Amino acid sequence: MVFSSITFLFLFLPVVLAVYYIAPEKWKNIILLAASILFYAWGEPVYVILMVLSILLNYFCGLDIDRKSDDPVKAKRSIVFAVAANIAILAFFKYYAFVLDMLSGILPQEIPYRELPMPIGLSFYTFQSLTYIIDVYRKKTGVQKNILNYALYIAMFPQLIAGPIVRYVDIEEQLTNRRTSAVKLGQGAMLFIRGLAKKAVIANMSGEIFQQISDMPASQMSVLMAWLGCISYAFQIYFDFSGYSDMAVGLARMFGFELKKNFDYPYISQSITEFWRRWHISLSSWFREYVYIPLGGNRCSAVRNVVNLMIVWTLTGMWHGAAWNFIVWGVYYGVIIVMEKYVYGASLDELPKPVRHIYSLVVILIGWVFFFSPSIGYALRYLAAMFGGGAGIADKGAWFVLLSHWLLYLLAVLGSTRIGFSFIRALTEAWKSQRARTAASVIVYFGMFFISIAYLVTGSYNPFLYFRF
Amino acid sequence: MTKKRAGLPEVAKYIVLAVMLIYVVVLMLFTSGSNKSFEEVSETVSASIDTENLTEMSERMLKRNFGLNSADYDGVMYYASESSMSVEEVLLIKVKSRGQIQEVTDALDERTQARIAAFEGYGSEEVRLLEDAQQSVRGRFIFFAVSSQAGEYRSVFDSSL
Repeated sequence: MVFSSITFLFLFLPVVLAVYYIAPEKWKNIILLAASILFYAWGEPVYVILMVLSILLNYFCGLDIDRKSDDPVKAKRSIVFAVAANIAILAFFKYYAFVLDMLSGILPQEIPYRELPMPIGLSFYTFQSLTYIIDVYRKKTGVQKNILNYALYIAMFPQLIAGPIVRYVDIEEQLTNRRTSAVKLGQGAMLFIRGLAKKAVIANMSGEIFQQISDMPASQMSVLMAWLGCISYAFQIYFDFSGYSDMAVGLARMFGFELKKNFDYPYISQSITEFWRRWHISLSSWFREYVYIPLGGNRCSAVRNVVNLMIVWTLTGMWHGAAWNFIVWGVYYGVIIVMEKYVYGASLDELPKPVRHIYSLVVILIGWVFFFSPSIGYALRYLAAMFGGGAGIADKGAWFVLLSHWLLYLLAVLGSTRIGFSFIRALTEAWKSQRARTAASVIVYFGMFFISIAYLVTGSYNPFLYFRF
Repeated sequence: MTKKRAGLPEVAKYIVLAVMLIYVVVLMLFTSGSNKSFEEVSETVSASIDTENLTEMSERMLKRNFGLNSADYDGVMYYASESSMSVEEVLLIKVKSRGQIQEVTDALDERTQARIAAFEGYGSEEVRLLEDAQQSVRGRFIFFAVSSQAGEYRSVFDSSL
């Protein structure tokens, strides 16, 4: 089920919220878990069994690691088994077709194989499971003996499909001790509506523009058209994913949970290092905590640090998908981050802010070309068009796209900065009396909600981009 | 006794992993698609079709009967009876992306329901065939058959992957 579907908005969510709020405290986790399993099974009736088995596997692995914690050798063996099993399952679903296709390309004969679709959310819940078992092994958290609580941590529907990747230590306490209140419900609902509007209005419309432009052969694109296509994709993926994350954090708050934010206005960054501190924060934190630091982080020689960074960024690319374009995208960011750290970072800091901002945006936009391209060849052709290798500088079609969608682009630019949210806050909080502020909030947020619904009803089916990862 | 209890998580984790492996094998056998080309699969399926009753239909008929554009997909094979009193048809589609599966299965359901409503009351045999229609989604392949031999066609489709 998708958060932005009519079934979710008008049936699933109201019913689950009503039952959850009416139910006695001791039943709340069970209700939320049952709702989460139903939510997942709605879209993945076959793979729900895989998710349940993964929960059981990691629950028992956690108990086993804890039981052996007094014996370092046995505990190590147990954690290696748990990590290997999780990675093997993820790698099988994500990469086996890619590997076989690659082998077919090398070998004289094509290897026939059976295709299995990638289970939705597998990358996200596997990474969450890994945070749990690794932190139990490192004794950073206690083992969860209640299987229902553990299952809820993994399966909780607000963050199950596309994150944020929640570390067990961040939510352990809340699994048994959290509060719901009218204020939290309202705050959660407002965050959810902001996310819905980001997705339904800006992301989906930007996606349509990008689709139209990317359907053109790159050789027939003018420079302006190619940049507009890339900018439209940049807005689509940001508002799609950050919209989803806002909805997830908002929904969790409605059920009494506090999750960390996953985005912090990444497009205002003045370096790529800063961009990755603001984009998909939970994934970057995961790689830093569970890969980069264990590899030695930056407390080692410069050469070793470069190797560590390249490993992390290659893995980040691979995490996004089994295709060369994602690997190149990851390596691209690895190289840029290494360069910022060891080559031109200090000089970059001395440049005026607008120049640093333009540098960051250009690097990010070039990165998105690798990300959205179906192949490396396409990416290179598209990049060539962006830098004058297509059909001229600006054609009539490109001007038409720009002039007919200027309002959308303006909204997207404002929404990518703090100005957008400040504007909403000014509208709702610029009143003297509390009653007036409440009334203004109701009008603004209901307005956003109904506009979003209007877009969803008239638009085509548009799942979130990050579902495929 | 205490020792046995302490070992339970270890045994359980191996059992769960074994169940997972069995589950994946079952998925591979019964729900997986294939990297075979559309031509390879459709050739095998079309060779089994009773061409005395069913004729290969054009893209236009696919659009008219299902509302689907064949150009949107990797491949389409569509056989149907030319008699307006027969409901028999076999359709095989390979979609370009999994996101297209829903639109195709919705179109199949819609057509089946519309035809059941049309034949209800006077074509009990046709209604029975429609109700027993075989539909299967295997990876990016979608198979649909309304026929007295639908089960056989489905078996051929399954084994062609």
